This record gives sequence, structure tokens and C-alpha cells, in this order.
Amino acid sequence: MLRKVIKSNEFVIFLILAFLSLMVGTINPAFFSISTVFDILRAAIVYFIMAFGLLPIMIAGGIDISFVAIAAVTSYATHMLLIKYGYQGGIVPYYLIACAMGLLAGLLNGFLVTRFNLPVFNVSLATFTMWYGFNLFFVGATSNFDLPKGTVGYYAKFLITSQDPLVGTTGLHVSILYVIVIGVFIWWLLKYTTIGRGVYAIGGNREVAIRSGFNVTMIMLVIFAIMGILSAIAGVTQAFLSRYFNPVIFIGQPLDVLAAVILGGASVTGGRGSVIGTALGVLLIQLINRTLILTGIPVEWQKLVLGIILILFTSIPALRERRVRRMGHTTELLQE
Amino acid sequence: MGEEILRVEHISKRFGGVVALDDVSLSIRKGETCCLVGENGSGKSTLIKIISGVYIPDEGDIYVNSHHYKKLTPIESIHEGIQVIYQDFSLFPNLTVAENIAINEQVASGKRLVNWKEIEDIAREGLTKINVSLPLDVTVETLSTADRQLIAIAKALLAKGRIIIMDEPTTALTQKEIKALFKVINELKSQGISILFVSHKLSEVTEIADRTVILRNGKKVMDQDAKGLEIRTMEYYMTGREIDTSVITFAEVVPVTPPLLRVENLNLSHGFFNISFELGQNEVLGITGLLGSERTELALSLFGMLPADSGNIYVKGDRVEIKSPMDAVRHGIGYVPDDRITQGLFLDQSISNNIVVRIIEGLKTRTGLLDNRTKSEQANQWIRQLEIKTPSGELPVKSLSGGNQQRVVLAKWLASNPQILILNGPTVGVDVGSKAEIHELIRTLAKQGIGILLISDDIPELIQTCHRILLMRAGKIVGEFHQGEITEQQLYSELIAGTLVESSR
Amino acid sequence: MTTRPKTSLSKERLMSFFKAAYIDSQTLQLVGVFVVLVIFFAAIDKKFLSSQSITSMGFQLPELGVLSLAMMLTILTGGINLSVNATSNLDAVLAGFFMLKVVPPDATGVQMVFYIGVALLIALLVGLITGIVNGFLIGYIGVNPILATLATMTFFTGISTGLTGGATVTGFPESLAVIGHEKLLGIPIPFIIFVLLTILTHYLLYRTAFGFKLRMLGSNPVASEFSAIENKTVLMKTYVLSGILSAVTGILIMSRTMSAAIEYGTTTYVLLTILISVLANVVSGFGNVINVFISIIILQILSTGFHMILAGIRGSSFFKDFAWGVLLILIFIVNYFVYQRERS
Repeated sequence: MLRKVIKSNEFVIFLILAFLSLMVGTINPAFFSISTVFDILRAAIVYFIMAFGLLPIMIAGGIDISFVAIAAVTSYATHMLLIKYGYQGGIVPYYLIACAMGLLAGLLNGFLVTRFNLPVFNVSLATFTMWYGFNLFFVGATSNFDLPKGTVGYYAKFLITSQDPLVGTTGLHVSILYVIVIGVFIWWLLKYTTIGRGVYAIGGNREVAIRSGFNVTMIMLVIFAIMGILSAIAGVTQAFLSRYFNPVIFIGQPLDVLAAVILGGASVTGGRGSVIGTALGVLLIQLINRTLILTGIPVEWQKLVLGIILILFTSIPALRERRVRRMGHTTELLQE
Repeated sequence: MGEEILRVEHISKRFGGVVALDDVSLSIRKGETCCLVGENGSGKSTLIKIISGVYIPDEGDIYVNSHHYKKLTPIESIHEGIQVIYQDFSLFPNLTVAENIAINEQVASGKRLVNWKEIEDIAREGLTKINVSLPLDVTVETLSTADRQLIAIAKALLAKGRIIIMDEPTTALTQKEIKALFKVINELKSQGISILFVSHKLSEVTEIADRTVILRNGKKVMDQDAKGLEIRTMEYYMTGREIDTSVITFAEVVPVTPPLLRVENLNLSHGFFNISFELGQNEVLGITGLLGSERTELALSLFGMLPADSGNIYVKGDRVEIKSPMDAVRHGIGYVPDDRITQGLFLDQSISNNIVVRIIEGLKTRTGLLDNRTKSEQANQWIRQLEIKTPSGELPVKSLSGGNQQRVVLAKWLASNPQILILNGPTVGVDVGSKAEIHELIRTLAKQGIGILLISDDIPELIQTCHRILLMRAGKIVGEFHQGEITEQQLYSELIAGTLVESSR
Repeated sequence: MTTRPKTSLSKERLMSFFKAAYIDSQTLQLVGVFVVLVIFFAAIDKKFLSSQSITSMGFQLPELGVLSLAMMLTILTGGINLSVNATSNLDAVLAGFFMLKVVPPDATGVQMVFYIGVALLIALLVGLITGIVNGFLIGYIGVNPILATLATMTFFTGISTGLTGGATVTGFPESLAVIGHEKLLGIPIPFIIFVLLTILTHYLLYRTAFGFKLRMLGSNPVASEFSAIENKTVLMKTYVLSGILSAVTGILIMSRTMSAAIEYGTTTYVLLTILISVLANVVSGFGNVINVFISIIILQILSTGFHMILAGIRGSSFFKDFAWGVLLILIFIVNYFVYQRERS
């Protein structure tokens, strides 16, 4: 059992994570403080949520980039709608309305993919463009800072607070609970429900999944709905954490989330992936981003560095898969 | 054997203008193993698909378990106990053995939640039914083809299959595994389960069948007890002509130094070890072995797909480095792969394109542009020469039958004028008529001076075409036999025995 | 004396002419769409068909056009190049920097031509290098093209961002505008370049051994490896060509707008190039350059038409984004129904 854990992909990521943390900490000891941990987690929360939503889709063999657009349009439209009617209450209606919208948006992707037999990526490219365009044209083109009275202070609602001499009061934000609940839910879904096993089956061999009697259409619709809902949650949470609603939130981020899921063990061709791996992947990407800021690289060049890192990160799994091909099982794998 | 469990009467099926089945009647009894035999295009696939509910017959009746159907749906077919095991076994490579075995039941039961203990129990039950033990928690992709087939059978049985249809189940298996499969089939027989076994391999058919049914051009031409049925007779009924294998002339191998190909101490880690042999011009050298013999890996190595880690290869006396297929091709080596669908052909592309793909660089006009007319001419020449049956070279290659498709792959390599041709299972999935023609072609090519490495586990094929046969086991060469030195029976026993001393070279 | 029915003879001739000219039923459908759209927009506003309007389209269309050719090549191999726009921006930025930093302000006419020539070469070189990066990742390392070009897109944009700090580069020598603003024999120069490149692409794909191998690889990469087509090399060359074509687009844009910036286009432009290939039914291994050409024209008409209808409405470019997304979905759906018969 222990041997299995050590050999697993997740463990490797964990090691890389640990190694990188040690390195950063040695250079900048301030890194090893509770407030830094809380900070990193705070930044990671929405990425965890989006990555968990993306994971089942990737296991089923699809690459999607539209989840960021769904996050943007659901959160922004909900907000503009609520303040238009003078809403001054708390956060709950935001989540409810946005999730409803996210559900529909996710189902749209799912419908197009299943009904017209379209590749997931192609549909997501179209809806990505469509939703951002829709948001900017029909809802609004500028960021909005008018938060309802009932939501003021939410951004600083901490589970655990810590006092740091340098940074002041920081804490672990309550929305980390969302991450835990969602993470557990997705894990349970993937491991203990027929739908979840169906996702792995579809990713493993779609033809056979159909022949085995899986309702592939229904399963795909479900995971797209989940992706839509989780994207909405991420969008709203991000807005509350940063205290403003941005119509183009996350527009440059799909690759970050994709990379995190792939690093976490999901294969580009599908059939593999886990919640733990994904979570570790998200942490790793966050840590790298954090490191970049700490090293003081000017903002303009950060994108470049991120690009290089992403190139490296997408290459490593590809090389790994290539090496597997060469050793044993060659003819069978080549036949795939 | 008991009473009749399945009967189809006067089944006819047309696709457009083509008659796939013409008034075919067939009946299977409980516990009976019926072998359905026929060339490609004979209608056996269509008949199977009608029985399993994938196709609807234009005419005729189906009786299963005394229920009368004019047509079946897949679900009805499954409910009547008809289970089809397709050639890909319908397995999920990324899921465990246990999950693969239990998955159909899981889905059929409509349960929403997964109980892993239950899955394990179901899987164990399935394996017990066929008296086989396999580790339950490994992923299927790590298993051999033979083991996967066993899992597929366990799955079919769990689904309460009373009639199991196996579509060419032994194509991917080696002799030892086939023996194991037959043992399982006999076990099933004793449990009263009927088996409809579709196959090309006539020697197997004689071994396992209770009854043999032969289809030709959509009509049933034979339906009788398998006992006493000779292969020659079956071939005759299948093709409508006698295949005369007694008059085979082998090319004369003129020993020339240096030899066409010399392999010296070739090694591939996790593959083969210390492989050394020679191949002469005009010679057909067979290489055979069971699973794990690494014979395909050796072929891939010589072709540059899996470059060897150490050792030397000499072509006509010159030492060569083969690190990629391009290197191999440059030294005149060609490779006809065992999986022609995925590895050998570009299915959507035209027959012509498939044929000229290797020689495209040489089909240019003076300005460096492609000469489409020469391209068509070249392609048509090969179509004629290899007798590829098609109305036009511009049709996509997927429109061809298996035998003709294989000829396209051969044409592709012959067009590039190879001096050494490696053939891996060249007649797998090819009808008897084409098979004999391909064998004759191999002999002819050898006479023309090409050296041929024939990788196969079709014993009659090896005996009929090869000057010498090398036997491999666990990555080493363990035996060498010359033409005339050994009979089919002997070769077969050497293959599955293991009493040979490693040949020292 | 027997008389052959004239109709069947001319029909045969027509069919073989069509085949030789690579015109298929899809081409005729696209021409039909083109005609309908022109009539539609002209009916809404007669100015649509004015020489000014057509000329302006003639200057803009080539940018999208050449970029679509860049995309088409990669789709034919079964891949995709999401970094086409980032590449064209990057080479414009680098060429622009060169012109700003190296060209002396008092250069003579001849010297100026020389400097501009070097700048253009630099741009093409950048395209080549970006192509090598993509080709290496996809062909040699084996990264999935979507992921690889998504990453390189970020990488290339990152370089541009780092160099420009997000600002627009302006102040180019006047003579640069020649390419983007002048006409030759009444036809805008960019359009001539575009048509030339289209013809070259057609010849490349259907009359060269490389093009043949490219299409075969797209049809079945495994069989192509087994047929000793060196996949690595073919993919590398494909992405290099894609990069160079993207660079040409960068030059065209730079010449027309006399500036270089990281924002030109963004993912919407990439979407449009994909949309064009989908409309022209370009798939792995099979693609008709003529159909792509017509699709490009159709897209330009739509774009100009939209612009005309929405003129004056705030944020019309956002509406266009929305519209393109919807349009792509619609084309997917239409393609599904139209090609359903082929599939079975």
C-alpha cells in the first residue's frame, strides 16, 4: 500500500511542492510564516474550485477553456442584476443566482458536445468568446465596486486569524470551506458513484462505454453542469475576496487551471486524474506565481516567465508518456 | 448437448444493391460449439450482427429460447442471453480488472452508488466461472491480450450469457493462449453454454468445433458435424476452388557473401537479447514464437521504430545504424505491420495515395512539383500487379476488404524497391483465397531477389513459405529449422514445448 | 450516324474541370453563401458596395486571410496553432523596435528601403523561430497541440508585454505604409500578397511532396510514422510555415496601422481563423484552399457588414465577439447536419 502511494503521480508533485517551498523559504525566510500560508491559500481558493470543476471533464477526455468565461459572466451579470434592483443583502442570493446561471451555461456546452458530436475544446472556444462578448456588450464593460451592504466585510471573514508583525492581521478565509466541501464532493462523485466511474470509462474508451450501457449523454451533461456551477461559485467568490466585480475576470487564466489539473495527473487523452493530484497541482502553480512576485520580476516579464513554466509543465507529462511507450507494451500502445 | 436454443430461418439481408445474406438458416443447440467460417464478404459478420440485434434482417425469422422474433434489438438480444465478444474485448484500459468484469452488471442494475466490495465479489465470481485467477486490482492496460480475452469472457458469462459469440477471438493470441482459451470453451460447454465461434483459422476450427457452418457469398454452403471434416474440404467450400499446396516451389537460395542482412548480438533492454542471424537474398526467413518472445520487437528494431541498444546490423556487408524508420528505409528495409488498420493504412485517403506514400519524393516533374499523372500511373500499375480489386484507385482505402487492404500495404512497400522486406502477420484477417495468393507473392518476391523476414505464428504459413524458421522464446533465439527438416506438427510442438537447447551462434 | 446527347458530354467535361480545379460541392455552397450575404448587406446599406468600402475590405481582409492560412496548415496535420496571433504581434513589436531604435531619422529614401527590408526580414525571422519552438514542442516532445500553443501563446505575448510594457509602439518610418496602403494596378498590395500566398499554399499542399506528407500525417499519424514519413520533421516544417505566415500577417497589420501592440486581435482573431477552417470543412488530412479563400471573404463581409450595422453603438467590438462565438456554434451545427450522410 505504501509502495503504491510513493510510486503515484501525486506523491511526485507533493515532493516537488515541498522542494520548491524549501528553496523559496531558504532565500526568503519570511516565507515560512502562517500568514504566507494563509495568503497563498487565499489566492488559491478560486483556482481549487475551478480546477475541481474542470477535472471530470478532463478525465472524460476533453479540454475546456470556457469555464473562466462562465465564471465571469455569471458573477458579473448576477451582481449587475442585483444592484439594479437595489439589493443590499448578503452573499447567499449571489451564489444562488450565479449557480443557476452557471448550471445553464454548463449545460449549453454539454448539449452542444453531446447532441452534435463536437470536440469539447472547439465548443469551449466558441462559448469562451461568446460569453465574454456577451458580458461586455449586454451587461457592462467596466468593473463595479458597489458592493451591497450585506456583503461588506465578507472579504475579511476568517476562520482562523493570525497576527503578523510585518503584515498585520491575516487569516484563513471562510471560503476555504467551499474548497473542502467541493473537493470532497468531487472525490466522492468520481470514486463512489456510477456517474463518476462512467466518467473514467468514457475517458478510457468511449465506444466501449456506450456499448457497456453507460448513458454517456447524461454523464457528460452532468459534469458540464457541475463545471458551470463551480465556475459560478469561483467567479462570485473571487469578486467578494477582491471586493469588486470584473467583467473580464480570469480571461488570461484558463491555462493556469489546465496546467494545474494536468500536473496533478490528468492525462490529456483522458481516463486518469484525481482530486488530490489536482489540488497539489493548483498549489504548485500558486506557489510558482508567488515566487515570481517575490523575486521581484517586473510585472511585464511575469507573463513571459509563466509562459516558459507552462511550456515546461506541459512538456514533462508528454515526455513521461512517451517514455512509457518505448518500454514494453509498445505494440499495444502504438495500436491505440 | 441439449435441445435447440437458437434458430434463424431464411435470413436475407441487403445493403443497397449488395446481397450480404441470401436465405441463410442455422440452428444451434445448447452446449454446442458451432464454428462459422467464411471468407471476407461471405456474410458472417452480417449474420452475427443480426443475431445480436445490431442489424435488422430484410427477410426471415429468429427463434431464441423458443421466442419468435422478426427482428432483435441489442437489449432484447442481451436479455435472451446472447453475448458478443468483439475483437477489442470491450474493456477499459485505465480501469482495474475487477471493475472491468463487474461494470456491465453495475450499469445494468441501475445502481447510482458504487460498492467496491460488491464489485470485487462480482469479479471473483466471474473469474471462478471460467476457472481462472487474475489479480483484481491491476489496471487492464498492463495485461496481455490473452488475459484481456479471459476478462471479456468472464464479463460475458456474468451477464448470464447462454450463447456466446466470439468474433475472430484467436487473431491476437499465440498458440499457447489458444490452447488455454479452448480449455475455457470446453468448460463452458460442460455448463451447457453454446458458443458461436467465428474464425478464419481452419486448423483451430477442426480442433474446437462440434459443428461447422461455411458461408460463401452470403449463402450457406455447408452445415455439418465437424468430425472428420478435412481442411482441404473446408477450403474448397469456402473459396469454391481447390488450394493446391502440394506444388510449392521455393526460391533457390544462392549463398552469397556477404549475406544480404546480418544481425550480430542485437540487444534491446526489456526486450530481446543476443540476437544473431543471417538472411540471404532470395531467402524467406520465418521468425516465430509465443507471447513474450519479442519477435515483433525484433522486427521493430530492424525497422528503426525501437532502435536496439547494442549490437550490429550489416546490410550487404556494410555496417549500418538504424535509429529511425528513415534509416531503415534508406538501407532498403521495409516493414508491413501486423495492425494494418492503425499502422499500415491511411483509411480515409485514396488507394493511390496509400500506395505512393513511400515513393512520393520520386514522383516529381522537373520543376520539383508533384506529377499527378505519373502518380496515378504508378498506383494503377501496382493495383494491376497485385490484383487489388477496386473500380478506381481514387476510392478511399477503407472501402476495400481485408485481403485487398493488405495488398495495398504490400504495394506501398514494394513500390519503394526494398531489398529486405519484414512482414509481420501478413495474412491475419485475410480470407483463404487472398492468403494463398499472398503466399505465392512472397515466394515470387524471394525469387526476384528480395530477402524476406516473415514473422508469423501461422504454422502452415511458415512451413509453406519459409526456407528457414527461427524460433524465439523470451527474447532469445532458441531454435532454427530448415525447410523439409520439420513438419507442421513438429514445429507446433517445439513452439509450445520448451525442451530445446538455446542455439549457440 | 449516332448523336451523343450533348448534355452528358458537357456534364462530364464540367465535372472533370471542377475536379481538376479542386472545386467541390462545398465550394459551390460557399459561393452561394457569399452571394446571399453580399445582397443582404447591400440591401441594408448601398454604401456597402461602394468602391471605398470594397477597397477598405481589400486592405483588411488579407490580415485575417494570411493568418487563416497559417491556421489551416496546422489543422491539416490534426493539430492547431493558437499562438498565430501572438506570433504576428510579437514579430511586429520586434520589427518595430528595430525600426525605432536602429533607423536614423535622417536616412535617405534608399537607405530607408534598406532598413525597412531588414525590419521585415527580422519579422519573418521571428515567425520562423516561433515556429521552431512550436514545432519542437509538438513534433519532437509530443505535447498536445492545444496545450503547447496555448502555452506558447502566453510565452510570446509575454515577450511582447515585457518589451513594450503594454504600450503601443508607434513612430515608424512613413515608407512602411506603402505595403499597407498602396495599390498596384488598382488592387491593394496586401490583397495581392494574400492571393499569392493562397496560391502558394495550394501548390504546397497539393503539388509538393511535403504537402502530400503533411496531409497523410494528418490522416493517420501512426501509419505515417510506420511509412517512414518523419513525423517530427513534417510537423516542424508545418509549424515553421505557420509561424512565417503569422509573421507576414504581423507585417501587414503593422503596415496598415503604422503601429504594433500586444492587443491586436486577441483570442477572437484566433477564433476567427478556426471558424474559417471549420466553415471550409478543413479537417485532419483534407482541406481545400479555394474553400478557405472563399470562407475568408465571407468572414470579411460579415465583419464589415456587422460594423456597418452597429456603427455608432458603443462597444460594438464586444458584440462582434459575442456574434463570432454564436456563429461558430451555428456553423458546427450546420456542418453536423450537412455531413451526417457522409459519416454513415
